[in-house]
Amino acid sequence: MSGALQSPTIELDDDPEALYELSLAEGWGDGVPLLPPTDERVEALLAATPLAPSHAIGKLPPRHGTATVELAAINAVMAGVAPDAFPLVVAALEALVRPEFNAIALTTTTSSVHPALIVNGPSRDKLRIDYQAGCLGGAAGRGSMTIGRAVSLCLRNVGGQRTGATSRTVFGQPARFGQCFGEWEERSPWPTLAERQGFTRAQDVVTLHGSKGDFPVADTNNDDPRDLACMLAKCISYPLSNYYLELTGDCGQIVVVVNPMWAERFGKAFARLESFQEYLREHAWQPIDLWRPANQEVLRRKSRVDAQGRVYLVNRPEQLVPVVAGGLGSLHAMFLPSWCQSEMQSAAVHAARWTEESLDAALVEARALVRSDGADLILVEADPASARVVLRLDVGDASCATGSCVMPGDALRPLIADLLARRLRGAMDLRLIDPRAVEPGSNAPDPA
Amino acid sequence: MNAPATPRGRILIRRPTADFAADDGAPAYVLDRPVAGVRVGIRHDGTWRSWQYIARVWADFLRRDGAIPVLLQTGERTGAEGEKTRADLDAWHGEIDCAVSGLGTCGSCTMWSVRDAVGVEATGKPVIAAICEEFVGHARTTASFLGHPELKVLVLPYPLETRPEPELAVIAERYYPRFLALIGARR
Repeated sequence: MSGALQSPTIELDDDPEALYELSLAEGWGDGVPLLPPTDERVEALLAATPLAPSHAIGKLPPRHGTATVELAAINAVMAGVAPDAFPLVVAALEALVRPEFNAIALTTTTSSVHPALIVNGPSRDKLRIDYQAGCLGGAAGRGSMTIGRAVSLCLRNVGGQRTGATSRTVFGQPARFGQCFGEWEERSPWPTLAERQGFTRAQDVVTLHGSKGDFPVADTNNDDPRDLACMLAKCISYPLSNYYLELTGDCGQIVVVVNPMWAERFGKAFARLESFQEYLREHAWQPIDLWRPANQEVLRRKSRVDAQGRVYLVNRPEQLVPVVAGGLGSLHAMFLPSWCQSEMQSAAVHAARWTEESLDAALVEARALVRSDGADLILVEADPASARVVLRLDVGDASCATGSCVMPGDALRPLIADLLARRLRGAMDLRLIDPRAVEPGSNAPDPA
Repeated sequence: MNAPATPRGRILIRRPTADFAADDGAPAYVLDRPVAGVRVGIRHDGTWRSWQYIARVWADFLRRDGAIPVLLQTGERTGAEGEKTRADLDAWHGEIDCAVSGLGTCGSCTMWSVRDAVGVEATGKPVIAAICEEFVGHARTTASFLGHPELKVLVLPYPLETRPEPELAVIAERYYPRFLALIGARR
C-alpha cells in the first residue's frame, strides 16, 4: 500500500532522538518527542478510515495548507494516535475547517484560545478517552493525550500555525499541546452533548470548542442546587470575559464541565437541560456598577447594559453548554471560557471499512444469493485492516440434478465481491473457496 | 510513491508538512488622483477606541480636503451577526473608491484588518491596512498567504490603545499625510 502515499520521504537514523532532534530543527513538533511516521505506521492509521489517503479534508488555517487524509495520518502517527482513534482525528479536522468555527481567527489571535475536543460515543472507553477523574489533564489516557495533540500538530504542520509568526498568542495555554476529553454520558441527567448537536448515542462524535482555557470553580457553601447554579453563572460572567469586549453577546459558547455529583443535584432541580441553561443564562450577568466609570461608558456605548443596569454575558441559553465529566469529588467544576468569535462544531467519525455488525449484515445479503439454491456461505476469515474476506461455499446436497443449481464459483465470486464492496464501502480482497472445484486426487479445494 | 529501501540502522519517514502558496499574487492599486471627490472608506471594529478616534479625526480631515469619508464598523464574524458583517462589507465595497482598514493591534484584529483590506483590493480598488508596529510582520505574513503580498501597510505606533486623546490627536495629524501618500493620492 505504500505506493499510495505521496508525501516525500526522509531518511534518518533509527534512533528516537534522531526524529526528536529533526522535529525541533524543522519546527514540526511541540517540543515533546514524536513517533516516527514510517509507512507501516501511517498505513495502519489509513486502514482505519474509508477515506482515501489523497482525500482533502480541507484547508487548514492560518496558511491554508491542504489537509489530506495522508497528512493527517502522518501527523497523527507522530502524536501517538492509535489506528482505531484516527477517525476521530479526521472528524475533528472536518469540524475545524467549517467556516463558523472561524479557525483562521482562532489560530492567529493574541488570545490563548485553542480547539478543545469533547468526545461522545461508544468508542470512548476503548479509545481511552478520559472522562472521569483528571479528564482535563493528568489522567493520561492514550486517546485523550494523542487525539488533541494530532489536531495541534496538523495546525502546525499543515496549517502553518507558528507562535510568534502566524500566531500572535500572548500566553498560549497548556491545551495548545492538545486537549481532548469525553463526556461521562452514563452520569448525565440530560441528553449527551452529541445528541444535542444532532447525533445519536450510537455514533462516535467529536465536538470542537474554541476554549480560552480551563477555569476552575469550587463550592461547599451552597446546599440548594439553584443557589449553586446561580453562583456558577456569576463565575462564568466574570467582568473581564471576552464577551464584554464584544459588541453583542450573540456569538460563541461556554462549556460548563459539571462533575457527576453536581450533575445529579442539578438534574433533580432541572429535569430538562434547557431549563438548566435558561437558569444559568438568567443569572449570568453582572451589575454595571461592578465596572469602573470609564469601563461602564464603553459597555453603554456597545449597548450591553439593559434597563435594569444588568450586563448579560450571552444572549441565548444554548450558548451555555453543560458537559458532565470529571471525578466524584463533589465540590469542583470547570468551565472552558469562550473566545466568542467561534461557534462550536461537531462531526461524527467515518466508519472504518467495516465493523463486525456491518460485515454480518452484508453477509446476510450475500448468503441470500446462494440460499435460494440450497447452498450457504461460511465466513472463514475477515481482516478489516487488509480488507480481506475469505468465504467458503457450502453447497450441501444441492446439485443441478435435483433442480438446485448453484452458480459456479468463478461467476459467483464477482457478484459477492461487488455486494460486499458496496455494503462495506470499499474494495476488498475476496477469496471464495468452492469445494466443487476440487480435482480428483487433490487434497485442497481450489479457490475461486 | 514507493519508499526506497533503507540501509541497516536507518529508517524512512514521511514529511508531515503541507506545501504553502508562494508569495506572489494579486497586485496593489494606487489612487493616482487628488483625494477631492473621492469616497474614502475607513474600516474599524468595535474594539479599539484609539483607532475609532483616529478614524473620526481622519474623516474630518477628508471632508476638509473635499473627500467623502465612508466609515464602516465591522461586527461579529460568526452566526447571524457574522452574516450581517459580511453583508455590510459587501455593501461598503460598492460605496467606496479606496479605503483604509484597521486596526491591526492584536493577532486576530490584524488578520481581520488585512482580510478586509484584501477584500477591497480584490475589487480592484486602492487600499491600505493600518497596523501597529508590533504586528506589521504578522500583517505582511497574513497578506502573503492570502495571495496579496503587495498589500500596502501603514505602520502606526504601538501601543495606540490607552493613550490619552491629545496624544492620539497628534498621531492622527502626523499620520494623515502618510495615509494619503501611501494610498496614492496626488496633491
